[in-house]
Amino acid sequence: MKMMSEQARKDHILSRIDARVKLVSALVLLAMVLSYKGFVFPLATTSLCLFLCITLRVPVRVFILRFSEPLFLAAVILLLKFFFSGKEILFSVHFGIDIVGYRDGLVEGLMIGSRIMAAVSVVALLGFSTPFAEFMAGLSWLRVPRGFIEIMMFAYRYIFVLFEDATVIYNAQKNRLGYSSLKRGLSSFGVLAGSLTLKAFDHSQNTTVAMVQRGYDGNMPMLKHKSFQLSEIAASIVFMGGMGLLWNL
Amino acid sequence: MKVRSAEFGTRNDSSAECGDFGEFSRAVQSAVYKSAGKPGLILLLLSLCPLLTPSDAHAMHIAEGILPFGWAALWFALSLPFVGYGLYRLRKISEADLSFKPLVGLMTAVVFIISLMPVPVPTAGTCSHPCGTAISGILLGPAISVLITAAALLIQALFLAHGGLSTWGADIVSMGVVGSFAGYGMFKIARVMKVNLMVAGFMAGLIADWATYLTTSLELASGVRGDSPFLPLFWKIVVAFIPTQLPLGILEGAMTAGMIGLLSRKRPDLLMKMGVLKPGDALRSGEL
Repeated sequence: MKMMSEQARKDHILSRIDARVKLVSALVLLAMVLSYKGFVFPLATTSLCLFLCITLRVPVRVFILRFSEPLFLAAVILLLKFFFSGKEILFSVHFGIDIVGYRDGLVEGLMIGSRIMAAVSVVALLGFSTPFAEFMAGLSWLRVPRGFIEIMMFAYRYIFVLFEDATVIYNAQKNRLGYSSLKRGLSSFGVLAGSLTLKAFDHSQNTTVAMVQRGYDGNMPMLKHKSFQLSEIAASIVFMGGMGLLWNL
Repeated sequence: MKVRSAEFGTRNDSSAECGDFGEFSRAVQSAVYKSAGKPGLILLLLSLCPLLTPSDAHAMHIAEGILPFGWAALWFALSLPFVGYGLYRLRKISEADLSFKPLVGLMTAVVFIISLMPVPVPTAGTCSHPCGTAISGILLGPAISVLITAAALLIQALFLAHGGLSTWGADIVSMGVVGSFAGYGMFKIARVMKVNLMVAGFMAGLIADWATYLTTSLELASGVRGDSPFLPLFWKIVVAFIPTQLPLGILEGAMTAGMIGLLSRKRPDLLMKMGVLKPGDALRSGEL
């Protein structure tokens, strides 16, 4: 099992940029996309981010997997808005039932659909180009409370362990006809989830003992921030300025 | 969905693709639904009725970009006091118990895995899933459960494109705040009324799930309605979610009951430590 940041090439210029610069740029871009009234800016943002994802050499399968749901969602919203919402009729066809397309519905659907694709592209690009530990360091720099970051770090570590445990338990249940009837299926599902909780308790105890023996005092160490590169900040400001101009058009 | 159980047992971390979460969880869901038999068929037929009513529902994890800036900011602001209180509780408890933070992290991983079990919502054009917030609320308290949900949602949004950064606040409010408090409240009320432990767990899971979806519908209706009136759209979205939420709420209830039941049989000491059971409860006839 791999997260998004592990799917892309590590030697790309985007992967080398400071996570803090990427994080702030992504948040500003996201705010621009969400506050834009229209679909030109979101479509331009989507194209740019998708192009950058391609240059990051994200595997096609992963790419499709990550973008299929928002793309489908955007398409459904576009169709629903086009055919079921609006006042200004664009066309009307009769096939047993009246099919009516609305001009204002189409515009609204395009607006929401493009906004979804743009926002997903921005966050996906951030996810593909930023390893988890660097992202956590970036959040720490943004003054996100330490306790929250520590929880995320523990969770990230143990997602992989518990996922493996879950597959083993599921296989064992299935091989013993644990899902052969509704009653057994529900019961097995509950036992699977309960077993994960039990393992979570056990792992937390073992981890605490191991960490205390290594000097854990209740606080986890964070990645130390390297100093900002002036060129990265300048490039980010120029990029955001360009996007700002496009946003204002 | 084809169940590929043989593959799950043989894969390791390095060889598996990032889609494995989905494949595994779909296999579990599929196995449960396939095992449903006649009652499942009736439920399925009932659930097909809303297909005739198209609407704009989107997902339990509201997808990135759906909410306009103003609504996204509002829901984020609403979630902040709850997350802040959760952090306060975390700090207080961690001062006395060093194992608490790792435990909260591990429970976050459990909620993460549970809430990645997708069930397609054909009427909404998206996927739905169990929340897992009822059990975290019951075991660790609703304030910590909000924190757990927030962390799980952020990891999913950033590294699996599930949910979103801009909809993080809305997702925290629906899943974390409403789900956790509704589940916890239902469990406590049921226990005060001397309801059996597993039945109370079932009710908590059911209510947490349905309350979460009602809140998600409210968030979606308010965010995407444009100039349309709020209430008709809200009810359309609620109806659109029924095909999955009716059975999924029951599934979540059964899952929560199963979890509570297993914990009470195998590790009643943990339930006592978490304040779910009092020492006398374990001895009550028929309780465990």
